[in-house]
Amino acid sequence: MFTHYIDLAWRSLRQTPLVTFLMILAIAIGIGVTMTTLSVYHMMSTDPIPDKSDRLFAVQLQPMDDGETWATGDDVPYQLTYQDAINLQALPGDFLRAPMIRAGFSVHLNTPQSKPVIEDARVTDSDFFSMFNLTFIHGSAWTAAQAQSAAPVVVLDEEMAQQMFGKTDVVGESLFLGERRHEIVGVTQKWRPNIKFYDLNNGAFGKAERLFVPFSHVKAYDVDTWGNTNAWKFEETRDFNDKMNSEMVWIQFWVQLDTPAQRQAYGDMLMAYMQQQQKLGRFNREELAYGLQDVNAWMNYNKVISEDNKILVGLSFMFLAVCVANILGLLLAKFMRRAADVGVRRALGASKRQVFYQHLVEVGMLGLLGGAVGIVFAQFGLLGVRQSYDYYNNLASMDWMMLLSAPVIAISACILAGLYPAWLVCRTTPATHLKVQ
Amino acid sequence: MLDMKAISKVYQTDMVQTHALRDFNLHVAEREFVAVTGPSGSGKTTFLNIAGMLEPFSGGQYCLDGVDIGKLNDNARADLRNQKIGFIFQGFNLIPDLNLYENVEVPLRYRGIKSAERKRRVEECLELVGLAGRAKHLPQQLSGGQQQRVAIARALAGRPRFLLADEPTGNLDSLMARQVMELLEQINREGATIVMVTHDPELARRAPRNIQIVDGRVTDFTLYQGRSMDTAMAAGG
Repeated sequence: MFTHYIDLAWRSLRQTPLVTFLMILAIAIGIGVTMTTLSVYHMMSTDPIPDKSDRLFAVQLQPMDDGETWATGDDVPYQLTYQDAINLQALPGDFLRAPMIRAGFSVHLNTPQSKPVIEDARVTDSDFFSMFNLTFIHGSAWTAAQAQSAAPVVVLDEEMAQQMFGKTDVVGESLFLGERRHEIVGVTQKWRPNIKFYDLNNGAFGKAERLFVPFSHVKAYDVDTWGNTNAWKFEETRDFNDKMNSEMVWIQFWVQLDTPAQRQAYGDMLMAYMQQQQKLGRFNREELAYGLQDVNAWMNYNKVISEDNKILVGLSFMFLAVCVANILGLLLAKFMRRAADVGVRRALGASKRQVFYQHLVEVGMLGLLGGAVGIVFAQFGLLGVRQSYDYYNNLASMDWMMLLSAPVIAISACILAGLYPAWLVCRTTPATHLKVQ
Repeated sequence: MLDMKAISKVYQTDMVQTHALRDFNLHVAEREFVAVTGPSGSGKTTFLNIAGMLEPFSGGQYCLDGVDIGKLNDNARADLRNQKIGFIFQGFNLIPDLNLYENVEVPLRYRGIKSAERKRRVEECLELVGLAGRAKHLPQQLSGGQQQRVAIARALAGRPRFLLADEPTGNLDSLMARQVMELLEQINREGATIVMVTHDPELARRAPRNIQIVDGRVTDFTLYQGRSMDTAMAAGG
């Protein structure tokens, strides 16, 4: 019977092409707008590293004196001081860890033909690559010895390698970061997480870096951050060395802890570390505090998805509701015009339920068609978002889940719109229409 | 077959109550051919609609083939209508966007009959009404008489035991009307019970049994073709 209903629905839609066109247009516009905002929201809220998001932890310490406050829910700063980062890096234990900052360089090949480019770089430890799932296609990360000696080495991603050299296999070649020559030791696959969850200081949706250098370069070459540096008390900082020894917070720190026991042990280590630092005159507080938040908790803590985004999604659904109301009106007119046919079908043995289902199949088909056109509209919407905001490039797209959701939402919306007209038409007394047909 | 006792039907508006049927009693036996006549507004069509379960009645008892209709819900009535009743309307009431084949197939689909069996029955019924060659035509491509024959084919496709015809020749010229009447007589001879509402006294006289409805009541009946008055009185209640 279902295929028969589909056949009837298709005939009915073809019979009234203008009304069908208007209804499909209405639902398509509604779906286009809704899916544009919903897709961006979905991409924003998608777990950026699902296979290990519950094992990667952002580390926070509370270095401030009692009475000092911070713009976080628990008053703990987002970042660490340099000295804490270095000390935590040196803690014993068999787990991956990565202090990091965003820096930047003028990148060139020191040849007349090469055009320098200003490029962000991630200054971090070699554990970063395995912690955040970067894959090497050539070479590898720098060695511990190279990191120890602050050897001038660099890792590029394939896009950067292609841009600078016109090829990806560039291990052993040299690149200049500013005035310093760096040897390329590895090339990674292109790595573009939708959310820059590992460093949310300058926006959650910025582009991931394509250049990586060892964290030891911070001290060796005075590599300062291009991100945020925050202070919570007055300290005289005359040079970069003063900054490194200050209580300013400017370093992000991540650890990978694979088991709850490891997490517990690491928490205890952090507490012990702060107690030890108290003896050295730091952490002047009654209650010591630290933060150890996994990726998703960290994104919530940093309010990656703002209230504005949620309101926008809500508004787009309200717009869809307006479209649905329009479709309801058109369906009402269309179905009631068909009451005479329904009367005949009822006389020939169709139950109210069968008539009801027949009409719901028709509105479902309308939803399917509207959803398909809506996806096309949404693609234009997302293109517009991408054109308007560079940093939305990764976010303003539809993944397979959103592609499947669009027709489901469209069909549901149309069925919602069609419930009342279908109910009304199936309730008509057949006798009323048979005589006058 | 059909048994109505003290049936009443009241149409209620805010200000007015209209009694379309009152204390309506009728018994139609299996294989009877009954012509129902009466002036306009007397309740003929209301009776036919109630008989076909197309609208509910206000009071009384109606049994069809031993089933008390008053106790059935809508789905059960739809099933019973589909299984046992065939309709022929004055205005043909063919579905305009379905071709003849599909129109005749409609009641069979609602009965859940399989495709091959549907095909066999539709072809058989179109053959019976002489329109097998026009199966792919749309209703509007046929004359009035042909459309009514399609409606008869549709009514017969479900092999109903009970055929309700509301002015089946009302929109036809006399030649077409005679052909349709002959078809109905043939169907009756083959075993179907027929109740036919008509304004045409000549057609009514061709039915073995006549009843007249005036002001919502059965007021008179006449027997033709040798049936005894006593039997008819018993049947008519």
